[in-house]
Amino acid sequence: MKPDRILESFKQALGDGLLESHVVERSVGVVSPQTVYDVWTTVPRERLHDAVAHLCREFAPHISVISGDDLGDEVALNYHFTVGWSERAGEITFTIRTVLEKTDLRLPTITDLLPGALTSEREKQEFYGISFDGIPDGRNLFLPEDATIHPWRKDLEAETAGQVKRLVKWETRNE
Amino acid sequence: MNNEKINLDIKVPTTCSLETRTCYSVPIGPVHPALKEPIQFSFKLEGEQIRGVDIKPGYAHRGIEYMGMKRNLVQVLYLSERICGICSISHPLTLTQAVEHAAGIEVPPRAEYIRTIIGELERIHSHLLWAGVGAHELGFDTLLYLSWNVREKVMDLLEQLTGNRVDYAIPIYGGVRRDIPEEKAHLAYEALDYYKGLLQDMIDAFLHDKSVEMRTRNVGVLSYDDAVALCAVGPTGRASGVKKDVRWDMPYFVYGDLDFHAITPEDYGTEPVGDVFDNIIVRLLEVDQSIKIIEYCLENMPQGELTSIPKVAALLNILKKAEGEGIGRHEAPRGEVFHYVRLEAGVEEPVVWKVKAPTYSNLMSWVPKFMGDEVADIPIIAASIDPCMCCMDRVHFVAQDGTQSDRLEEELIQLSREKTRRGSQ
Repeated sequence: MKPDRILESFKQALGDGLLESHVVERSVGVVSPQTVYDVWTTVPRERLHDAVAHLCREFAPHISVISGDDLGDEVALNYHFTVGWSERAGEITFTIRTVLEKTDLRLPTITDLLPGALTSEREKQEFYGISFDGIPDGRNLFLPEDATIHPWRKDLEAETAGQVKRLVKWETRNE
Repeated sequence: MNNEKINLDIKVPTTCSLETRTCYSVPIGPVHPALKEPIQFSFKLEGEQIRGVDIKPGYAHRGIEYMGMKRNLVQVLYLSERICGICSISHPLTLTQAVEHAAGIEVPPRAEYIRTIIGELERIHSHLLWAGVGAHELGFDTLLYLSWNVREKVMDLLEQLTGNRVDYAIPIYGGVRRDIPEEKAHLAYEALDYYKGLLQDMIDAFLHDKSVEMRTRNVGVLSYDDAVALCAVGPTGRASGVKKDVRWDMPYFVYGDLDFHAITPEDYGTEPVGDVFDNIIVRLLEVDQSIKIIEYCLENMPQGELTSIPKVAALLNILKKAEGEGIGRHEAPRGEVFHYVRLEAGVEEPVVWKVKAPTYSNLMSWVPKFMGDEVADIPIIAASIDPCMCCMDRVHFVAQDGTQSDRLEEELIQLSREKTRRGSQ
């Protein structure tokens, strides 16, 4: 699949909702080099569900994982999809990034579109304190059921530190 | 498959809410003889039949991503190797790709070949290990001993090539740390010949055995639609006919040059059912595929540099100045491994490091696999996705009284010194 095609259809579907997009090209292989693409896009959170719905309608995506990024006052979530699998060197990674204010960490779930995203949403819920509206199963997944801390939030590090047993002093060198 | 639309009607599997007088709850795990690693299954049973299952992972959390974001990138590389003991090359191979993409580091061709060879050797040992575990879960221990006996050859080869049976420490950002010299290549050919002669016997022992077939055919079925909707990866998905293989779909290393395809039960001449039997087919045939890939690499490996940045100090300096984000993907024996890193200039540590192991993606495919099957099939269905809990659980969480314990650190160092002191037992 060519990244231009998917980006073009995204621009048509989302209009102003596509805040930013760029394509990174890489050459792979030694004898007969081929080109593979990473596509990075940013959408506002109000349009995230639309964007994923469009992806599901047109391109049969696979979701690898949702990664999070604590930016200080905001948390960015990167939805890492891949599209175009089963085609020789035709798969591209398609990342949809959306940024949330820490004062309002809410997002619609995408499990209604892609059930495979549930594990990742539950993980983001416990590790960043984000709540996904409409998530079919909102319990903690990896953390104990009664845990209330969010270990990957940098502003809550002191709370986390109180509950994590440190094995090596080196880890505390910056504190 | 490319433009086909996903079936969106599949219900997200959650806890079984079935509560009738004939319905019993049976917990299996976190520690149970049927499981090789800790995870908790809560089954809802009606007689012998499984009517629902709730899965709770997290018992092998160690906080590796958290630790990684507090260490410099070279230290993170060695840490990533310790995410999993079986795919101990998959995580560093993926991390190096992610960091190389983020920092724009080139890799010399010879290094790409060596990475491919070690990665494929790992696939052989992992699939043979799985075959043994699978046989054991079926109660066929003779086959377990046979499988693990033949697995030793590839473990020996890995030790001869890299110095270790696990944790090979081969990749480094920009290349590899060790060469495969001419005098050692013949050891690899010898091991490959050994496996070529043996594969048909393995296929006979597993796939032409009446009792194996009776225990695994139509047991633990994952349909094609479920596999796609639940985003199953690796042999778990391929057994259901999902032709998804990172090596083929989005080539890296030298896979772009190779002639191969994603293995499904069709290669064995049967329609994909997605049951445990198909899982065995896919994994055994992939051993054969790996042998061919390694042979190609050994024959065509060009001479040249091993790494584009040989000095670690220079490498650290480059990484410290690097800014950007990158994705690394690798087809590990169990499926797609995915790493995302974001680097900031002036910071030695990765600002973000997200690891996605194959079992993380395959976790939910357990639910349709268990449904409707019997209690006695739980061990083999649990084993059929080749789960690796320690890969998936990476965050350690110990509810303590809130104080940091220095005593524990001293105690551990003391214990390890005692253990490794010369002359000690």
